[in-house]
Amino acid sequence: MSDKLKKFWSLYNFIVVFLIIFIAYLIINGSAPSWTTITNILLHSSILGTIALGQALIVLTGDIDLSVGSSFVLAGGIAIVVFNSTNSIFLLLLCCLALGAAFGFINGLMVGKFKMPSFIVTLATMLIYRSLSQYMMNEMGETRYRVDASLSKYYSLFNFGNGSFLTISLLSIVWILLAVFMIYMTNSMKYGKRIYALGSNPKGAMLAGVNVVWTKISVFVLCGLTVGLSTFMKIAKDTSFDPATSGKNYELYSIAAVVIGGISMSGGRGKILGVVFGTMSFTLIDKIITALGMNALLNDTVKGVILLAAVGLQMIQKKSRD
Amino acid sequence: MELLKMEHISKSFFGVKVLDDVSLTIQQGEIHALLGENGAGKSTLMNILSGVYTRDAGSVTFEGKELSNGSISASEQAGIAFVHQELNIFNDLEVYENLFLGKEITGFGGRLDKKAMIREAEELFRQMDVPLKPRLLAGDLVTGAKQVLEIAKALHSKAKLIILDEPTTALNNNEVEHFFRLIRDLRDKGTAFIFISHKMPEIFALADHYTVLRNSRFISSGVIAETTPEQITRDMVGETYANEDLYVQRELGDVVLKVDQLTGEKFSNVSFSCRKGEILGVTGLQGAGCSEVLQAIFGAIPVLSGNIEIHGQLAGDETIHKAMKKGVGMIPANRKENSVLPDMTLLENTYLSRHTIDTRNPSISKRAEQKRYDSYKQTLNIKANRSDDLIVSLSGGNQQKIILARWLDTDAQILLMDNPTQGIDVGAKEEIYRLILKLAESGKTIIVNTLEIPELKKIADRCIVFYHGGIAADLAHDEIEENAVMMYSTGAR
Repeated sequence: MSDKLKKFWSLYNFIVVFLIIFIAYLIINGSAPSWTTITNILLHSSILGTIALGQALIVLTGDIDLSVGSSFVLAGGIAIVVFNSTNSIFLLLLCCLALGAAFGFINGLMVGKFKMPSFIVTLATMLIYRSLSQYMMNEMGETRYRVDASLSKYYSLFNFGNGSFLTISLLSIVWILLAVFMIYMTNSMKYGKRIYALGSNPKGAMLAGVNVVWTKISVFVLCGLTVGLSTFMKIAKDTSFDPATSGKNYELYSIAAVVIGGISMSGGRGKILGVVFGTMSFTLIDKIITALGMNALLNDTVKGVILLAAVGLQMIQKKSRD
Repeated sequence: MELLKMEHISKSFFGVKVLDDVSLTIQQGEIHALLGENGAGKSTLMNILSGVYTRDAGSVTFEGKELSNGSISASEQAGIAFVHQELNIFNDLEVYENLFLGKEITGFGGRLDKKAMIREAEELFRQMDVPLKPRLLAGDLVTGAKQVLEIAKALHSKAKLIILDEPTTALNNNEVEHFFRLIRDLRDKGTAFIFISHKMPEIFALADHYTVLRNSRFISSGVIAETTPEQITRDMVGETYANEDLYVQRELGDVVLKVDQLTGEKFSNVSFSCRKGEILGVTGLQGAGCSEVLQAIFGAIPVLSGNIEIHGQLAGDETIHKAMKKGVGMIPANRKENSVLPDMTLLENTYLSRHTIDTRNPSISKRAEQKRYDSYKQTLNIKANRSDDLIVSLSGGNQQKIILARWLDTDAQILLMDNPTQGIDVGAKEEIYRLILKLAESGKTIIVNTLEIPELKKIADRCIVFYHGGIAADLAHDEIEENAVMMYSTGAR
């Protein structure tokens, strides 16, 4: 292999992985690639994909956030209650973002300021947030958080969640725009380089002048914001939240999307663009399983195997680089 | 008697010759210095000897028997031990557990016979005449003792030839002394050593024979007593390497840095001042507090009491950020651990620090950065291909220049350099000295902390010597002299 090709492979192998899965899907489905196939993939990737973008920033600094799925469901429940009593889409969005950011800040404070391991901190908040969401629901005497369909703004909200622009769903446009911003941020902004520096060598970054505590906290807050945004997207799309099952395993799926996207779990290495493809690869696996008519319970088995394969691929690549 | 004979060894990596017809002969019970600049082929040769690499051509005979090619276990079994620069000690295990790792003495049903192991360890340490205690946690040992433990491991596995790769880098002068005594003692008992070092005084203090490699080739070999440091340096560097005096007296400006009664955890009541354009040398044995004083000025470790005044501005409780804003930069010791960002490119490694204090524009202009980088590349003579190569692709000397560029990029007027030539080969060291002098000439104030006194003689206008957390002496350029500095830093004067 020529050096150029090697470099391309090491930088963009997530595209190759995506294409392989995509072709596999087309063959199984027996259809030619159509525009609808692609827009569908984008739509079904958008909510998880938005969270994965935030997760990616945290993983780039060398940490992890296991609480995204629980933050998602807790913020969603409260936000629906707020919407039902105010009939304001703006307040709904604000509530989602503010709660997401607040949950992220709590994680970030403990990880950044008090130097607690992120795995443990977010494992704890993962348990806390979901349990709170379920408790609240229970106190209200219901089983699902539901947007009140009799409200005047209900349809505007529903239309945002299920509408499209030039055949592309609005939700996927939101996701793609966020991804474009994040790619710019990590490639061409001073803040983004601090994230990489922190993940690459925390002590070196500190002695080079990077404010390590603040950078860590801010990354968790940013991830919280993406969780908040995806909460809003989910409410607009489905208009309801089940505190027991919504956002379940999202922490694991988002981490899987990040890893399939080629971001190193030890931090400092990888591209945000990879996360976009990683998420789409992950979505496609779902579709393949449905197309094959396999038992849905095997879904996670296949996802697990694909994840192992992706990490294995990275290991081979790392070996060849060393 | 010949213990080891490596003859006509050649080795290529991807078509590049890294060893070309190299020979090395080691006698029984001698200390043999293996010399050469970084990249001369020393490590490759040693890796072939210890079986890590296979040789392409040539033969290795150990105790008269041909050594099989590229087998680590065969080399170990024959009695060759490699003590690497990065020590291979498990800090969470006790001393004796380190010693017996992988060859534990077991009793019935695989139960560890700790008593027997501890007894054997004690016996070994007694024979070596070293004060190691088997039950101590290895992590609690000072570096010098860990080094000794490595040697003990080698001896314990019945090594007849021990390769020491820059063993003294992390040791203070006192520990070096002890360590050398141990090595000499073992030599007299019949163990042979291959000693890799960049420090001339050590080589002349310790070694019996030497072999010099340069550019993958054998250059010379002989008896240490019959040669001189100048001759060996010439062999290593190639062209006539003149140990010329780089130092020139310069006109100094106003006081820009004043440290008054500074006290921290590892130092107390330190007072000195520094002028614009001055190169201030700081030295002392490891643990004397030099490095900590620099870190305190930079805001990396807390100050308990006392004042720091930078450009007449009082700097109370410093953070790194505040110190940088006042124009202080620091090249920390241990480049790999404390300054290199291994996943980032040359360009990113260069501009990162400036961007933490210059936040006017949140975006990065790649073109402007490239331009700045190119000018540093030229003035600092950085040998690199493309600015988007990873920093770890460069040699140690060039990596250090990138770090220097990083601080010049912040426009720091006061540069604190903690052991800046650590792990850099002779030629590149010389270049770093020249750069330091050039920077001082242009008005930068530079404080260099180093354990190497000849280094200070080359560049420092003044030198303060630390002993036990305080200043023992403040010497003018002409007073900097190896013996005197050593007396002050050991508290003998």
